[in-house]
Amino acid sequence: MADKPATVTINLDGVDIEVAAGQPLIEAAQKAGTYIPRFCYHSRLEPAGVCRACLVEVEGPRGTALVPSCTTPVGDGMVVHTKSETVEKAQAGVLEFLLANHPLDCPVCDKGGECPLQDQAYAFGAGESRYVEEKRHFEKPIEISDLILLDRERCILCSRCTRFSEDISGDPLIEFKDRGNYVQVITFPDEPFASYFSGNTVQICPVGALTAKPYRFKARPWDLEAVESVSLVDTIHSKVSVQASQNEIIRIYGVDNDATNHGWLSDKDRFVHDHIYAEDRITTPLVKEDGDFREATWAEAIGLVSERLGSFDGGRIAGIGGARSTNEDAYAFSKFLRSVVGTPHLDAQVGDGLDAKFAAAVTPRAEIGDLETAKTILLWGPDLKEELPVLYLRVRRAATHLGAKLVIVHPRRTGLDGVAAHTITYKPGTGPDLLRKLAAGDGDYAPVRETLAEGPVVALVGRAGLGEDPDLAEAVAAFALELPDAKIMPLLRRGNVFGALDMGVAPTLLPGRVDVDDASGRAALEAEWGSLPDGPGLDATGILTGLAEGELSALVLNGADPVRDHPTPTTARAGLDAAEFVVAFEMFMSDSAAYADVIFPVAGLGEVEGTATNIEGRVQKINRIVPPAGTARPVWSIFDDLAAAMGTEFGAASAEAVGAEITRVAPAYAGAAWDRLSWGEGRDGFVLPTADGSQPLEYTPVDRNVPIVSGHRILHTARVLYDDGVIVRHSSGIAGLAATAAAHLHPRDASVLALAEGDLITITVDGEATLPVVIDPSLVEGTVYVPFNLAATAGLGAVGTLRIDAVRGGDA
Amino acid sequence: MSWFADLLGPWRGFTVTWRQMFKPKLTTRYPKEKRVKPQRFHGRHTLNRYPDGMEKCIGCELCASVCPARCIYVRGADNPPDDPVSPGERFGFVYEINMLRCIFCGMCVEACPTEAITMTHLFEMSVSDRQEGIFTKDVLLVEPDGTPNHPLPDTPLIDIKELRLGDGWLRATAPSGRAEFEGVEAWSPSARMGGLAPAEPAQKDRNATDETGQPEEGTDD
Repeated sequence: MADKPATVTINLDGVDIEVAAGQPLIEAAQKAGTYIPRFCYHSRLEPAGVCRACLVEVEGPRGTALVPSCTTPVGDGMVVHTKSETVEKAQAGVLEFLLANHPLDCPVCDKGGECPLQDQAYAFGAGESRYVEEKRHFEKPIEISDLILLDRERCILCSRCTRFSEDISGDPLIEFKDRGNYVQVITFPDEPFASYFSGNTVQICPVGALTAKPYRFKARPWDLEAVESVSLVDTIHSKVSVQASQNEIIRIYGVDNDATNHGWLSDKDRFVHDHIYAEDRITTPLVKEDGDFREATWAEAIGLVSERLGSFDGGRIAGIGGARSTNEDAYAFSKFLRSVVGTPHLDAQVGDGLDAKFAAAVTPRAEIGDLETAKTILLWGPDLKEELPVLYLRVRRAATHLGAKLVIVHPRRTGLDGVAAHTITYKPGTGPDLLRKLAAGDGDYAPVRETLAEGPVVALVGRAGLGEDPDLAEAVAAFALELPDAKIMPLLRRGNVFGALDMGVAPTLLPGRVDVDDASGRAALEAEWGSLPDGPGLDATGILTGLAEGELSALVLNGADPVRDHPTPTTARAGLDAAEFVVAFEMFMSDSAAYADVIFPVAGLGEVEGTATNIEGRVQKINRIVPPAGTARPVWSIFDDLAAAMGTEFGAASAEAVGAEITRVAPAYAGAAWDRLSWGEGRDGFVLPTADGSQPLEYTPVDRNVPIVSGHRILHTARVLYDDGVIVRHSSGIAGLAATAAAHLHPRDASVLALAEGDLITITVDGEATLPVVIDPSLVEGTVYVPFNLAATAGLGAVGTLRIDAVRGGDA
Repeated sequence: MSWFADLLGPWRGFTVTWRQMFKPKLTTRYPKEKRVKPQRFHGRHTLNRYPDGMEKCIGCELCASVCPARCIYVRGADNPPDDPVSPGERFGFVYEINMLRCIFCGMCVEACPTEAITMTHLFEMSVSDRQEGIFTKDVLLVEPDGTPNHPLPDTPLIDIKELRLGDGWLRATAPSGRAEFEGVEAWSPSARMGGLAPAEPAQKDRNATDETGQPEEGTDD
């Protein structure tokens, strides 16, 4: 490898060019400005050479030969003709073959207008076909999943979808069948194409063979207006193109970038957008009167909230949320609560996350791109496929294509187990014990320890389940930091939670990753904001408990739903119930918003402009394409008005003005100005702190003494991609895909309890839920796994003693 | 003679009148009588149906995209399989032409792949309300039996025979999405522009005239 020159010189159509060695000819030609037609070639997939559209002539010792340029690597001294008569004829001939059976129903095809087959038939085809014969027919379209429709007549057998599913997503649910004239792409019998990544195949299909049901016949490509934005579904912040027609967002496509998503999206990113058009979206301010909500004007609602909030002592008010929207919104939230209301109690997490300082400022922090060069990846945290699906793709790629060794520690099987070098399952609560054994490398753990000794190491650490102690993640990070060349990536999943923490929506942080106890940082902020409340405040659990115990009186819920998201729902309910005054910033009547006295309707996906900070600290621009529904407004402007009503003028005229204030006030954000993020290299954002920014807080995790929780049986509850969260529930495309709730039991536990698969049991932890039993041998004995926050498990908590009762007279 | 000229004066003044009185009349008794329009007259549009009553429009929006006045609004929808509105997977769910904006250029007719939209000789489109100027599918679509949606279906301004002539080629290529349509001709030369491509020269002739300067095939080392 080492003797291979970094660049080679090829002669492309008579011009000598220097290109990077090792890349396919088609790629090198494209970078040099010569487009070679292609259908099967995709820069993020392994070349297959099946469509033959990219034939070019290469001179060799035995004369020139037509070779597929996607499977031919560039070689030194290669002489290539891409426009010779022979090449043109060959390419036109291939197109004629591809069109022999293609139905040409372009006017009804969703791809018509943006179809590579149309475009390339125009550019490289003969213009005429000599085929007058009957075309091949298949039944069409067939539903291969709840989201995807397959039209085999249109398929040109490029294998992009099958290669994506097998190589990239690891869900090989779609394959070729039959031979000769009857080769067809199809799913396996009785097994739908139920992949979390199925939408990507629609995007990369070069014809209209795979189409998405939510977009089907909604618009034609030339109707669409698009803006580049990022997806706030999870903390990866995948680059997306949000596309709207007639002022309605109807499609989201992935945008290829090296930094985050490589162009891929999860189906949740892709199909979540229609929640903003849900029937029951809140579009006017609501005020509770005699237990019922009534519509109110903005002036009335703002007047009421400012009056009520003003009537309490500042320290008796708290705020939860801010992770659902932009940095600008979170900043306004933080500024309002800290400087106008005067409370230190605010938290962007809902008791289900990590320590704020650890998540926001761990050093050294890994970037997603570090996965490309890592030799070893330690994943001790959530099942990435369920919680951070795009990161799952990147980790999977590192493990399958880039030779990284993956070590997974999780209470049960995860989506990445198949590509991992080592998987360790453990009983939740025994994590600290396992960590000690792993660090020591005793016995069975010796080979794992040996793998971990090879750097560079990227450690992905988070909470494996909601019942897990958040300090365990820090202990794991502290252990990982002793590994060679180690970098840490804290795993949180909720939207813009990293941005919210960076904006000081945390009990221990001020905007720009400043420790709340940092005297110089406080002084600098007080110069901008006026006086600040002292010391660290309460976190979400503390706030909810404080409300229940009467230490706090009022709560501002900024897009948070603690009733459904907090690990102990009874705490959340008790807190909200006891609160004297609750104001919610919401799009929907969530379980928590129902407790509110005033609800402000807020703008959502595609309706707001701003910036967002992802899991690696990359700040990117979010753009708006449609106006907010009804009278809904962006969060920052509501806080602006509230502050003015309470006697402090923020004076922010636009989200951009708030953004400019952030770059001035928040130290780590210096240099992350909007105009820098909109053009050129800044389009993929910057990882903070940028070169001209500074990182005031450098947090190194320490191994805290995490108690081992032992119990006869322990509940492991973790999130799944499609849960019963308020956004998914209102997204018509994916709402129906919510996982079926079941209680997963180890076979031995099931036999001890005399339970068989399908029996109904009642599980009691904090709340209770009655669920069918699923036997799951991937669990450790004594662990019961239940997916968190599904409709059937909504009342169930994550922390507390577990009781299992078999339901008599169930349908078992 | 001047008195004679003076006597004839008024009569001479009527010369033109008298002459025209015996020529054939150009005016018609509109609206009782309507002049026959030139055959390719660009009048009001209709949305046509196939002889079996199916709508020809498939909601492809090509007319809307080609319209220079941007006066057409189309939205497609999934064809209900049990009661399809048009052959194929999609039908024109919304079809509106803003006649106040239309410049009657006929580009929509040219763009239509199924000959769903054509132009009649109808020209009376006065409306008493601007909203009525937006012609919806109710107004434009012909009756299920193929007669135009017009108070006087027998008007000479609509050539019903011509309306029924066109049978869009796309119908054959999108056989209601069913495999049973196997055997229906899928592609007809009528859809192509120009004739068939000229026959290829045989391989041996091609090699003989190969003057690209590249090595002849079969050159051995």
